[in-house]
Amino acid sequence: MPAVLTVDSRSGVPIYLQIVEQVKRSVALGVLRAGEQLPTVKQLAVDLTINPNTVARAYRDLERDSVIETAPGRGSFVRGDGAVDSARSAAADVARDAFSVALREAKSVGLSRAEVRELVNASIDRWFPEEA
Amino acid sequence: MSTIQISHLSKRFGQFPAVSDLSLEVPAGSVYGLLGPNGAGKTTVFKCVLGLSRPSEGEVLYDGDPFTPQTFQDIAYVPERSVLYEWMSVAEHVEMNRRAFARFEPARALELLRQFNIDPRKRARALSKGMRTAVMVALAFARNARFLVLDEPTSGLDPINQRHVLSLIVNEAARGNSVVFSSHQIGQVERAAERIAVIDRGRLVLEGMVDDLKADRKIVEGILPDATSSLDGVAGDPRIARVDRVERIVRLLVLSGSDDIATRLTQAGASGVRVLDLNLEDIFLYAVSPVNAEADAVVSGSTS
Repeated sequence: MPAVLTVDSRSGVPIYLQIVEQVKRSVALGVLRAGEQLPTVKQLAVDLTINPNTVARAYRDLERDSVIETAPGRGSFVRGDGAVDSARSAAADVARDAFSVALREAKSVGLSRAEVRELVNASIDRWFPEEA
Repeated sequence: MSTIQISHLSKRFGQFPAVSDLSLEVPAGSVYGLLGPNGAGKTTVFKCVLGLSRPSEGEVLYDGDPFTPQTFQDIAYVPERSVLYEWMSVAEHVEMNRRAFARFEPARALELLRQFNIDPRKRARALSKGMRTAVMVALAFARNARFLVLDEPTSGLDPINQRHVLSLIVNEAARGNSVVFSSHQIGQVERAAERIAVIDRGRLVLEGMVDDLKADRKIVEGILPDATSSLDGVAGDPRIARVDRVERIVRLLVLSGSDDIATRLTQAGASGVRVLDLNLEDIFLYAVSPVNAEADAVVSGSTS
């Protein structure tokens, strides 16, 4: 399990957010399955060489978002109910944010509405080809 | 709970104020990074924390209590410069620590020395700079201390041993102990520290959680219609700590609300508006650079 997670401490993205996003992504993609146990806070902190409180903060966020649950004394587990849904919707949020940044960039470099629409359509055709 | 509380600490050497009115708290089970340019006063702060130097004003509390002779047993220190006795072997240093410190574990020290590939039979004078650092780290981490004060604990070490020291630091925090460390290798502080303080010329110029500082502080950059375009209505925003302009390019150091500022910069006619992340090195350099709108006001990140 620790091998699934990595952090880039030099990135401008807070480390706890990197963990939250990776766990959500792993759940959405089925790399982490319902009921699967996550490493303890201490274990993950030592494996990634990061502050234990940073890991604890990530786990709190994941609990709040109903992706994991923590049983005192037993550890943290991927939730059976709704973890995948909440992880998917979180993944959609990430995509929406990325989209919004891309469109702001398009606007700031002076593309017209029609040009942006053309770009978007071309991207959709590339990544979501219609099934024949 | 092992907390270190520094309140209103000042230290003057004659007329020279080495540290001025410094207050900060190192929470239990946490790693705290102390950053500052050379001569900023970091080592003076450490000496006051260690009871090696008497503050001119203010105090340092350990779990709420002032320094007592017993506190020596609770604090382990890795000094910036080697304090090893040149004529003594490494093994003799281990023995000396065993006699001086009640909770010192010789077996643990020898194990750490083995991990650093250091032969305990060697005399200190035969050790390289990095090996000296490693010996002092091994001695400090075998102390079973509740507070660890580490002044450049990776100095001279290769990247593998640097990472090993970082693991030891994280382990201590995971056991509930408090670690304060300084390093000019900001990447290490960025990785292991939960909170940081930046001191410059003896004063606290920035304090906060690393993750919050990164989430909040951004550069908002844009290109103005021409070099004389007005930034009125944007530049006066209190969330903007600094404005740099080169011809048509404008860069704003934003303390929070970067998306909002980016939108307003676009509305003010700027094109190519981007929000750029800052890593801890950037944040540090902005905090100590001469053109610094924050110099007189400490902006603290939110607490956990």
